[in-house]
Amino acid sequence: MALGKIIAVHSYKGGTGKTLLSVNLAATFVRHGKKVCLLDLDFRAPSLSTVLKIEKAECWLNDYLNGTCEIDKVLIDISDRIQNKGKLFVGLANPATEAIRDMSAKDRKWEMRALGRLLALRNSLLNDKGFDYLMFDTSPGLQYSSINAIVSADLVIVATTLDRSDVDGTKRMLRELYDLFEKKTDIIMNKVLQDVSSKSGRDQLQTRIKDLYQVPLLGIVPCFCDVLKGEGNIIFAQERPEHPFTKILDEIASKIDNNMA
Amino acid sequence: MTKQEVLGRKPLHILEKIRENLEKLNEKMEVMIELQKHGRKDIQPIPEAPLDVMTLLSMPDHLRKTAMTVCRLGRATAEEIAQQTHRARAVESAYLNQLVIMGYLKKERKGRKAYFYVDRESQG
Repeated sequence: MALGKIIAVHSYKGGTGKTLLSVNLAATFVRHGKKVCLLDLDFRAPSLSTVLKIEKAECWLNDYLNGTCEIDKVLIDISDRIQNKGKLFVGLANPATEAIRDMSAKDRKWEMRALGRLLALRNSLLNDKGFDYLMFDTSPGLQYSSINAIVSADLVIVATTLDRSDVDGTKRMLRELYDLFEKKTDIIMNKVLQDVSSKSGRDQLQTRIKDLYQVPLLGIVPCFCDVLKGEGNIIFAQERPEHPFTKILDEIASKIDNNMA
Repeated sequence: MTKQEVLGRKPLHILEKIRENLEKLNEKMEVMIELQKHGRKDIQPIPEAPLDVMTLLSMPDHLRKTAMTVCRLGRATAEEIAQQTHRARAVESAYLNQLVIMGYLKKERKGRKAYFYVDRESQG
């Protein structure tokens, strides 16, 4: 049996759609029958608890990284929210202000131990519990927690937009971060405003993105008002299976499946 | 007891000892060769150095590759690291020993094998 894989979703700037893409990509894998675990590693601005409307957890990921509880106590089974044979578990970052403050004051030795605990998840979740995918939603930029996630991952998905400062920063990160760790890195171009409904329009943009970044492109996601109207209240790919956004995620998930097999 | 008598009683044991010492000597020589190749400035021991991701980022490429592999495997011999990095065992052995001198890795001997690992729990 093929072993599961770890995917880190990262970006240079905030607001590129990491959490939206992570949640919906996880849901898409589950719709395809996979067993998925999604972990919120954005300890500076935790958002998964809000998106999934889970207010309390027996333990937070903060506790697991602190070494005060096992990962089993952190994971919450929300498979019932996705109508399929797949399984979806989530691990949440503590959204309390005090917890955020506590996490941002950790020293290098703590971060080193946290890396050890993230690396240990390959054994405890992928090998022992048989998850197909372990996904990390991270903080933007060069944060300790995000780099720990990148080092632990098999694949880094970079969510990027065509915003000038995001493009420049992403290019730098590709060269000076992911390359140094020899990580397999793919791009998702999100919030695209150009017309990509025609094949020529799509091809043109694809060539431009590939020239810009020189890494494989997983998909182009246009800016959909329908997705924004959801205001982060729904798992869009689950609620609207026929929507073009969901179809694009279906393609992205299948591409990842093929690439990682 | 004469030399012949000792050899007669424990020839295997003595040969083992010689082999062990030769291996230790070999490792030291590999480190010295590497020291000359990359210049000494790379390998100043840093007291209680944590092998965190920022340290990994700032390392020279050849050492980062080795250190990353130890991180991934948890605990490994030079042979096991070499299988992952597709570099020669002797080269990995030298890099691993450099990382030990720098304080980033710990080394433990079990019989004739030397295991390298990141000591994450004992520090501070």
